[in-house]
Amino acid sequence: MTRISGRYLAKRIVVSYLTLLVIMSLLFVLLRSMPGSFITSMINPQMTREQIERIRETWGLNEPLWRQYVQFMINYQTGDFGRSPTYSTAVSELMLRRLPRTLILFGSTFIVGYIVGPLVGMYLGWWRGSNKDKSIFSSSLLMYSMPSFWIAWLFIWLFNYHLGWLPSSYMFTQFPEFEWTAFTVMRDVLYHLALPLLSVSFIGWVGAMLIMRPSMNNVTEEGYVFLARAKGLSERTVMLKHAARNALIPVATGAIVGLAFIIDGAVVIENVFSWPGMGQLIVNAVLSRDFPVAQAAFFVIAALIVVMRLFTDVVYTYLDPRIKFGEGE
Amino acid sequence: MATERSDDRSTLEAARKRWEPRFERLRSGWSRFTEHRMGVVGLFIFVVYVLWALFPGVFAPHSTQWVAYLGEPPFDARLSAEQIETLPHPPAFGDPFFAPLGTNSDGQGVLTLLIYSAYNAMYIGLAAGLLSTLVGVPLGLISGFYGDTWIDETIQRFVDIMYGLPFLPFLIVLVAIRGMSTTNIIIGIAVTSWLNNCIVIRGETLSLKERSYVESAKVAGASDTRIIFRHIMPNVLPLSFVYLAQDAAGAILAQASLAYLGLADFTSLSWGIMLRNIQNSGYVFQAWWWLIPPGLALMLLAAAFYFIGFSMEDVTNPQQ
Repeated sequence: MTRISGRYLAKRIVVSYLTLLVIMSLLFVLLRSMPGSFITSMINPQMTREQIERIRETWGLNEPLWRQYVQFMINYQTGDFGRSPTYSTAVSELMLRRLPRTLILFGSTFIVGYIVGPLVGMYLGWWRGSNKDKSIFSSSLLMYSMPSFWIAWLFIWLFNYHLGWLPSSYMFTQFPEFEWTAFTVMRDVLYHLALPLLSVSFIGWVGAMLIMRPSMNNVTEEGYVFLARAKGLSERTVMLKHAARNALIPVATGAIVGLAFIIDGAVVIENVFSWPGMGQLIVNAVLSRDFPVAQAAFFVIAALIVVMRLFTDVVYTYLDPRIKFGEGE
Repeated sequence: MATERSDDRSTLEAARKRWEPRFERLRSGWSRFTEHRMGVVGLFIFVVYVLWALFPGVFAPHSTQWVAYLGEPPFDARLSAEQIETLPHPPAFGDPFFAPLGTNSDGQGVLTLLIYSAYNAMYIGLAAGLLSTLVGVPLGLISGFYGDTWIDETIQRFVDIMYGLPFLPFLIVLVAIRGMSTTNIIIGIAVTSWLNNCIVIRGETLSLKERSYVESAKVAGASDTRIIFRHIMPNVLPLSFVYLAQDAAGAILAQASLAYLGLADFTSLSWGIMLRNIQNSGYVFQAWWWLIPPGLALMLLAAAFYFIGFSMEDVTNPQQ
């Protein structure tokens, strides 16, 4: 029983592709309307006009803007992200190196957040209004209100500066005394992951809880919950099997919000912990006007988000049979 | 003369009669709000911050020009080398000067800066929250109600496009283009944060319009506008209140993050800038009296918005 028609899906895929094209065009315009250019870091006052012209020529800046735009769009269709003027490597290589690092850090916090959050939310939503609900809910809101870099500083102060248990920066030990094997690499990454993971998860799980709690509370008034209770099922079974499953629908949409939150958190947290991921890359690229890298980084993130949104729309129809997309076609 | 006065009184009477139910609703809403200790605490923090923002001079021990050891300007001396050595100074109460939360490395009182910064945070939170709600909620309602039509398509494609741009990096680009003033930061935050409201309200509307009361309103011949704003909107209002509060809190935290990354109007006073200055001067792990208060102030204001928002949800949507 398919609740989503193939034609609708095909249409959505085409539309997602067009969305990406529009995002890229928007980025092209926005990034170039920022004052300054990456070229300023390459030239100095001693250079002659010809030398500067030659540099501009090499980076294709002397072409008219529309031709740069057409070239940019064509290059991206063929997977050619160009070269970075500040990192002096191919941008695609840079992306391939940076993206997994961000995914390690924020994928793990995402998983932790979306396990803990809905579970606590389910519990609070079910017992809404009780004293336990009130105290847990308000203290989790306090957690949620902390500036991420500030709480990261407090954790670094406690676990690194004061106790000296955990490293406060980088992803690997800088001058290791051990040999790099698969095991030591993993151990080393986990060791460096601990503090950033703790700092982000400390705040991150509340987002999922905030969606789950009211959703769970709404569900408690539905007929099928009443029916399940009337059947004599235990409170636990009703909560887990009948109420929570239906209450998870908005959480699925919220997970996409959570995905966007990943990159936002990444920007600040990677900066605090000198974690060499996408967040740091994109901010540095924007600030140094490294357009090839900034475009590619935005593009990768945008592609990720667009694909995930497409994916949720499909999942949505499976989770809530009442919603049907593409029926009228 | 006399008849005129009685006319006055009767119109007054009529007005009061007309407004009585509304006052009654407000009063009962207020009494329900005060049942939530969390909301009352939030409101209390909010009021304190509003007072700080409006009358900083009354609460702050010094003016922002005050410098440790020298006092208020005009200064008749300069800081000696030994005095500079002692900065940032831990909390001191009268000896050698009065600074309840100590000073920063420039000799300014931390408590003074904290209180004078409330205005900035308040302004950013309220303005950005209101702006993004006013854009996001109506668009979400319309989009959800006309789900699967070209109206929904258009709005959702626009949301998709905006959504593909990550919040903070995009905000950095916007702020870099328009300049780092507080107003531009607010506009940047609002441009990027109405999407959440729109998506959530749309999702809610999508499932609400399948409910039987919407069907019956339709059968009864109600227009689309009436169904949207009369039948569906009251049901999503609690959620949009929550999101207004969340946006306000989010805006305050986003501004702090921007300041941390070095994108803020550094001529103004804000908690984010205070935190940025600690890092710049390298005292993050040495001067707790300078590190803790700005973060705590940010946390409490953001939490106050959340507290009020979530208690409002219970008031407008009493389910217990």
